[in-house]
Amino acid sequence: MKSYETIVVGGGPAGMMAAITLGSKGVKTLILDENDELGGQLVKQTHKFFGDHAHYASVRGFEIAQKLQEKIFQDTNIEVETSATVIGIYPNKMVVYAKNGKEFKATYEKLLISTGAMEKQLPFINSDLPGVYGAGAVQTLMNEYGVMPGRRFLIIGSGNIGLILAYQLIQAGAEVRGIVEALGKIGGYAVHAKKIKRLGVPIFLKHTIVRAIGNESVLGAVIAKVDNNFNIIPGTEVEKVADTICVSVGLTPLSELAEQAGCKVEYIPQLGGYVPVRNERMQTSNPDVFIAGDLSSIEEATTAMIEGKIAALEMSRNFIKIAANKKNIENEINDEIKTLALFRSGPKSAKIRTGLEKFGINIKHVPKIESYGVQIGPTGKLRAIVDCTEEIPCNSCEAACSFGAIHIGENLNSTPVVDYDKCTGCATCVTACPGLAIHMLKEDLENSTALVGIPYELLPLPEKGQKMWALDEDGNYVCDSIVKRVVKYPNKTNIVYIEVPIEFSRKVLSVSFPKKESPFVCRCEEITLDKIERVVDSGITDFEELKRLTRVTMGPCGGKNCKLVVLGILSRKTGVPISKLSHGTSRPPVKPVEFSLFMKGSDPT
Amino acid sequence: MEGRIKAHPILEFRRGKRVKFYFEDREIEAYEGETVAAALQANGIRVLRYTPNTKRPAGLFCAIGKCSSCLMKIDGVPNVRSCMTKVREGMHVRRQNGRGDVL
Ligand SMILES: Cc1cc2nc3c(=O)[nH]c(=O)nc-3n(C[C@H](O)[C@H](O)[C@H](O)COP(=O)(O)OP(=O)(O)OC[C@H]3O[C@@H](n4cnc5c(N)ncnc54)[C@H](O)[C@@H]3O)c2cc1C
Ligand code: SF4
Ligand code: SF4
Ligand code: FES
Repeated sequence: MKSYETIVVGGGPAGMMAAITLGSKGVKTLILDENDELGGQLVKQTHKFFGDHAHYASVRGFEIAQKLQEKIFQDTNIEVETSATVIGIYPNKMVVYAKNGKEFKATYEKLLISTGAMEKQLPFINSDLPGVYGAGAVQTLMNEYGVMPGRRFLIIGSGNIGLILAYQLIQAGAEVRGIVEALGKIGGYAVHAKKIKRLGVPIFLKHTIVRAIGNESVLGAVIAKVDNNFNIIPGTEVEKVADTICVSVGLTPLSELAEQAGCKVEYIPQLGGYVPVRNERMQTSNPDVFIAGDLSSIEEATTAMIEGKIAALEMSRNFIKIAANKKNIENEINDEIKTLALFRSGPKSAKIRTGLEKFGINIKHVPKIESYGVQIGPTGKLRAIVDCTEEIPCNSCEAACSFGAIHIGENLNSTPVVDYDKCTGCATCVTACPGLAIHMLKEDLENSTALVGIPYELLPLPEKGQKMWALDEDGNYVCDSIVKRVVKYPNKTNIVYIEVPIEFSRKVLSVSFPKKESPFVCRCEEITLDKIERVVDSGITDFEELKRLTRVTMGPCGGKNCKLVVLGILSRKTGVPISKLSHGTSRPPVKPVEFSLFMKGSDPT
Repeated sequence: MEGRIKAHPILEFRRGKRVKFYFEDREIEAYEGETVAAALQANGIRVLRYTPNTKRPAGLFCAIGKCSSCLMKIDGVPNVRSCMTKVREGMHVRRQNGRGDVL
């Protein structure tokens, strides 16, 4: 049996950062992980992470894992055991783990448990059918093994994991039929949601899955609307064709080992379920046992890393004899606690703050700078348009801009503000932004065109001169466009610059290869581009006439989405600029209203 | 699309040596380093076992060894988590029927 000063159980970002910190303080450490590679959740993540530049923001998840691994393998104070499943922790400070079918024992003076979390399940009819997977399982298959477990996916849950999974599936070439969300709003970050909406993935809010369809394997699903108490509203059921259903309704901490280690556990729903009770320095009710990461509260890799560091610093105090060094460590701990508080000061951390208050940990709000919403900047100049108005803990764009044109400030939950006098149009921020929330824009007033530079992470990459469809925020067809330039970047977020008519300069946010089927111009009335072009070709060039004949723009959206698009087609066909075309009169109501509102007067009840 | 991902905009898959194993006596191609469950999935096989009481088909759920939904009989040993077991040349994998007691 081997003895160590500290043992770290679980080698995700929390455990890895803890081991690195312990090693750097000269503490003899063993890190154990069940997988054959260290990294935890990070290894499966292909997207760039949010957060702070000091904590690998804007670096892709699997690359963060590689960087941390390198540090661990360089440090002789750290011993690594992978493919090692910890099966027990005993009161005599002993960890028992299984590796290659054999049992091993090791003792510690201080222990860190960072076993992360497991996915919650969702009960519905046939939820046990093969083809219903946890979101993490799909990520493991797809991103670790390069195996695509299906063709058409339906995702349940619109938290960050569900949103990111949808994006990753599309990147790997699958089709995402939609995301089903029981709440009235999207759970994850707005920037993640926008990323997939632009690719045309619908999000069904206030909906739930009723059942999976199939005998031996999933063939589809029935989804239905829910009321405010999450009860299914009868009669609203619809069938969706999908061969794979991914459940991503949240994670719950893996607290069994902590319990075995004698840590008091409490049920705190805001933190994810049963979590070990701990103090601000990650020490549990057993003074020799510490926790960090998703085990202590379901959050992010960044917070997991900081918690791992805080725990490790506190643990290392035990092994340091020189008073001056002890003092330094005390300062380091306080700095990390401050950084963590900054992270958690935004609106997206409200739940975590409430949960932590139950342990007596209070997080103060830090003053933020004022948000200007989406700034348009000076027309005609090549510049960055930053569409990031939700307060999330991220400052990648500020750090990426070497001209100091983007300001976020001390609290990284503040939203970015652009100084257009300083913006040179270099586009570095576009490729750095993990939310793909920044694009480039330059209007050409003389030629009535606009150049739009869109971040692009799909295959194949469009080529210069190619004709593409320009799409709006919901992935709807806006107009045809020509690729003017494609810039490749080492981080694989490339930028595709397309030219569109100037009228669409603010509408176009996405680009796709033209599909075989004609795109819908008016989704409400289901009218395709093809149909409108045929009507125009038959000699109808008057907008009102076109409306009467096709019903285009007359659906429930009141033409909000398609009027300009139709005018664009008319302009392209007739050569008359859009500004010169009569564009019809808007009729009330301006916003869609439930039909029942008009029926109120004749309501029979 | 179902099967192995060939081109990916971000990732490069370093696949190991090709190995063959048997699923219900059928030959399956796989790569060293892959789990049994991943290799079966790549070959379109989703049903990994039938449950003890209601005999319902079951497959992968968590893929990280936490849920026991993927138990199979591997080289004669029942109740093995196929999502945590790496493929080996010539191994015999079977669907588990029921509790998988060795009769
Ligand atoms: C789809 C998705 C997207 C995400 N995106 C972001 C993002 O953009 N930014 C961000 O900051 N965060 C993101 N996160 C969150 C982040 O990945 C997690 O919060 C973070 O990984 C938690 O770290 P951890 O070390 O606590 O746990 P984990 O990463 O889960 O690691 C736990 C480790 O413990 C091991 N383990 C568990 N039990 C045992 C045992 N008994 N014996 C041995 N080893 C064991 C596991 O194998 C695992 O390696 C995302 C998560 C997901 C799932
Ligand atoms: S385009 Fe370049 S200069 Fe302008 S904000 Fe982005 S990084 Fe800064
Ligand atoms: S715009 Fe800036 S703050 Fe917003 S997600 Fe992108 S990098 Fe982060
Ligand atoms: S799929 Fe969950 S244990 Fe294998």
